[in-house]
Amino acid sequence: MAESILKIENFTMHYMTKAGEVSAVDNVSLEIRKGESLGLVGESGCGKTSLAISIMKLLPENAVIKGGHIYFDGTDLVPLSEDEMRRFRWRRISMIFQAAMNSLNPVYRVSDQIIEAMETHFGNIDYSEAREKVANLFRLVGLDPKFMDQYPHEYSGGMRQRAVIAMALACEPDLIIADEPTTALDVIVQDNILRELKALQEKLGTTMIYISHDIAVIAEVSHRIGIMYAGKLVELADAEEIFHHPIHPYTAGLMSAFPSIIGPKRELVTIPGEPPDLLNPPSGCRFHPRCQYATEICREKEPEFKDYGSGHMASCWNPLEG
Amino acid sequence: MLRYVLRRLGQIVITLFVFLTLVYFLLEAQPGDYAQTFLSNPKLTKEQREALKAQFGLDRPLWERYLRYMGSLLKGNLGISFEHYPRSVVSVIAERAPRTILLFLTAQILSFLLGFSAGKVLAWRRGQAFEYVLTIGGVTLYTVFTPWFGLMMIWIFAYILHLFPVGKFVTPTLWRGAPVDANYVFIRILLSAFVASLALFLVLLATRRLNLALRRGLRGAGVLIILAGLLAYWLPSGITRYALDILYHLILPVMTLTLINFAGMMLLTRNSMLETMREDFVMAARAKGLPDGVIRDKHVARNAMLPVITSFIFSIAFVLDGGVITETVFSWPGMGLTLLEAAVAQDIPMVMGGLVFTGTLALLGHLVADMTYAYLDPRIRYT
Repeated sequence: MAESILKIENFTMHYMTKAGEVSAVDNVSLEIRKGESLGLVGESGCGKTSLAISIMKLLPENAVIKGGHIYFDGTDLVPLSEDEMRRFRWRRISMIFQAAMNSLNPVYRVSDQIIEAMETHFGNIDYSEAREKVANLFRLVGLDPKFMDQYPHEYSGGMRQRAVIAMALACEPDLIIADEPTTALDVIVQDNILRELKALQEKLGTTMIYISHDIAVIAEVSHRIGIMYAGKLVELADAEEIFHHPIHPYTAGLMSAFPSIIGPKRELVTIPGEPPDLLNPPSGCRFHPRCQYATEICREKEPEFKDYGSGHMASCWNPLEG
Repeated sequence: MLRYVLRRLGQIVITLFVFLTLVYFLLEAQPGDYAQTFLSNPKLTKEQREALKAQFGLDRPLWERYLRYMGSLLKGNLGISFEHYPRSVVSVIAERAPRTILLFLTAQILSFLLGFSAGKVLAWRRGQAFEYVLTIGGVTLYTVFTPWFGLMMIWIFAYILHLFPVGKFVTPTLWRGAPVDANYVFIRILLSAFVASLALFLVLLATRRLNLALRRGLRGAGVLIILAGLLAYWLPSGITRYALDILYHLILPVMTLTLINFAGMMLLTRNSMLETMREDFVMAARAKGLPDGVIRDKHVARNAMLPVITSFIFSIAFVLDGGVITETVFSWPGMGLTLLEAAVAQDIPMVMGGLVFTGTLALLGHLVADMTYAYLDPRIRYT
């Protein structure tokens, strides 16, 4: 087993809003090994993006880290100052944003924006050398380098997405967080880009965290999958394992809510109810109001996140038979 | 782009023509016979009066006078001023315009720089005490009655503290026997400011694609060379003391105008910044590990400045609006004061001349604003 690059321990983060405290990430622990690719799945507002921006400490002003540690390559990022954090950002951990379309600054050439990242972290680099590097990055993500001196608005959606991926690779980071990397694209482009991302990840040996609400997308690119619900990590297992033997009823619910192209035709089952209000999360297991297997204990006590064998972790009082 | 500019210039000529025609007939429609005001001088004999009338063309019918005016305008002749007789309107404008341009350009640029930097900081560090102080102070100054504020500034800084001269644009005793006239110095000051800014811009442009250390070094060297060039031009010229005298007179009115105007720029910048700060590319810039100042200036402010620049250029084009009041308060003999005096004295050719100047400036200002916008925002391309 390769050594771990990122280790999150009992991480809790709240947003202070006018209406009260929103517990966006609650007591999440997980570990990612070098070169691994982990998928985080959950409904909108389940805290997956909050967790991602917590790792890079790009939190908005009203966010408060309540506890826990995020060890990156042995360093706890939680107590780091903004200045110390800057050395990790992009150089060690980079990110492909949810709104990749808008994460390029409209008034600068794409090449200059990538060079800017390299210049920030590698200091005094030769301009023509940097350009050569950008051209290589463009080839790597399947873009013609002749487009590098154009402005973002001259790109199509897919090209922008690729440019953003090229930018994420610019400083050869150890970890890339891809937050809904393909959500805004059409299915064909989405598929192409995912496949290329996967190939890139294998080629460069980069560790990846994929975040998506679409479990099918995640399954395609991840070795392991974590399921998040209402700010909590409820299940974590190998991709194969979680598909065939889900333990948490929420995971099973998510799976049956998505159509399968290859499998037999079946009725799509939706999970009844809505995600809970995180201002006032339900007692006990946060999923219990929507869970068909819920019993008395689910309402009262929080289930422990424990190992159900061979690294298959879940927190549930009434686990489904594997 | 060139075709666009040419087409716009054509439009400007047409708009100017319509504007001047309207103004011409409006002035003509005013009550009173302005010719009489000047010709009723009792020292003139009847023959002299008729000769002068014929010389000015005032005995011709309205339409003929209009056509003749427009005709000579095309040749760059705006007629003779009644009040400054026998000087031509063009020569009066050539004398007064540089003074106005120097005063207001300096004040506008300072207001822009102050307002833009203040707005940037306000947006970046929201909710701190100085935000309220700056906002309330700025808005108070912005809405204050300009003549009163101008007089207060003169009272405090010139009368009580004796820091600056009370009014006027030169010290007459110093200029007695000066080798050149004030206008010569004004134009030299304007020209060197223009050349220096152009050179600075070119240095920044030329060094954009160099590596970090070289870029910083060359930019520093560029600034030093420009400064050295300015010194080399001014020191041996022998007119530096006159230029300094003008600048000394410039301080108080510029300070007044800047204090009055910067809040507009500040609030506009602040709002534009706050809007831009919500954009995704700002989050991306933070994720890239860029220093705080770089994110603020290079990413947020660079995008937020677009509407501010437009407003800034328009404000330059309309300096004469405020010029009438400010120049009167500070007895600054520029275009605004000239226009006011001409209007009061019914010096119609001078008034027309002033309006031709304002109109041209405003229309060209719009063109410059459009071109600047296209330069600053690559998404905008004119065809």
